[in-house]
Amino acid sequence: MTEKDLIKQLKELKAIKPGKDWVLLTKRQILPEEEIVGYSVSNIFHWKMAFAPVISLVVVIGLFGFASNTVPGDFLFPVKQVTETMEIGLSLTGEKSEVHLRLANKRLEELNGIAEANKVRSLSPTIKAFQDNITGALDGLSQMNSATLKGLVAETQKLEANKQKVESVLGVQIGGETEKLEKQLAGYLIADLENRTLDEQGQQLLAEAKESFEAGAYTLALEKLWFLSNK
Amino acid sequence: MSQLQKQFGEIYDKYIEKIYRFVFLKVNSQEIAEDLTSEVFTRGWESFKKNKCDIKNLQAFLYQIARNLVVDHYRQKGQAQLVSTDALPLIDSSMGLEEKSMLKSDVNNVKAALANLNDDYREIIIWYYLDELSAPEIAKILGKSEEAVRVQIHRAINALRGVIK
Repeated sequence: MTEKDLIKQLKELKAIKPGKDWVLLTKRQILPEEEIVGYSVSNIFHWKMAFAPVISLVVVIGLFGFASNTVPGDFLFPVKQVTETMEIGLSLTGEKSEVHLRLANKRLEELNGIAEANKVRSLSPTIKAFQDNITGALDGLSQMNSATLKGLVAETQKLEANKQKVESVLGVQIGGETEKLEKQLAGYLIADLENRTLDEQGQQLLAEAKESFEAGAYTLALEKLWFLSNK
Repeated sequence: MSQLQKQFGEIYDKYIEKIYRFVFLKVNSQEIAEDLTSEVFTRGWESFKKNKCDIKNLQAFLYQIARNLVVDHYRQKGQAQLVSTDALPLIDSSMGLEEKSMLKSDVNNVKAALANLNDDYREIIIWYYLDELSAPEIAKILGKSEEAVRVQIHRAINALRGVIK
């Protein structure tokens, strides 16, 4: 036999092969995750894609939930700010002042909590936020209507009480143009009440409110005006 | 981890038939060949996972594992490495009966001749003529020079011719 014939016959031994089923089974045994990776990753990916909006919504709701108790200076406070900004943005023009005042009151409540918890670093940003809300309320006053006047007055009453409380706890003046706010609001209320028909008692009260207003005691004037408005 | 598995999966696909044939021609038992081949790749995978960067020649590495496992197998069995001429090689089931018959005859002749060679010659013939490894590749497996391997190939084929005669 020539070398060439021998080599040819040798190469026929290439027919010796393992069974295909055995090859696959052995591969799965040695690399058990390969098929899962090849199969399930794509499935997991599809599942993730399907649930992504739901998961995102849950995360966002969770975030807003956690953020609701934050104060200016906290990590998640910007999330809360987004909610509040949306609230202002979505409110009617005539209601913006009331929304701002409500938020300003919130800041005052937060300042109480900050004082109790001694979160010194949150003081300054919260006071600033309060002042911004007061400015926002002032800006919107010119567009308020008589329907929102009552709400405005109620919030302003709360505001003054809360402000005094916070200032006594902190020992500092919070500032903000609350006096200007009260003056403008009182002025609007006086103008509004002068156009109404009041009984004798009402007229007496209005006159007293005007006196307080003239004397610069805007808080006192507002108290009387608020009482009149709610009669 | 999945990337590593994918890489080794490709290595498995590339070498499974060669390693199986190599082992089968040494042990001449389908069952033993399957067990040992499975062990080759199991050990190969373990080493690949741990020391992928250290394995310079994967082919040589797998063949070395295979050689060692066959040696260990016979040590445990206390048997010489004999190849039975009665054993049938695995043939692709898609072949026709005539093909299978002819192949069986030729294959058995060569197999019988291979069985009578010493192990070193048998290995070199399997690597060079069946697995079509180059002399440098065989040299890396054996840790010998290329020149030594070429000489060995020449001597092995001459020895096989002598046996078949």
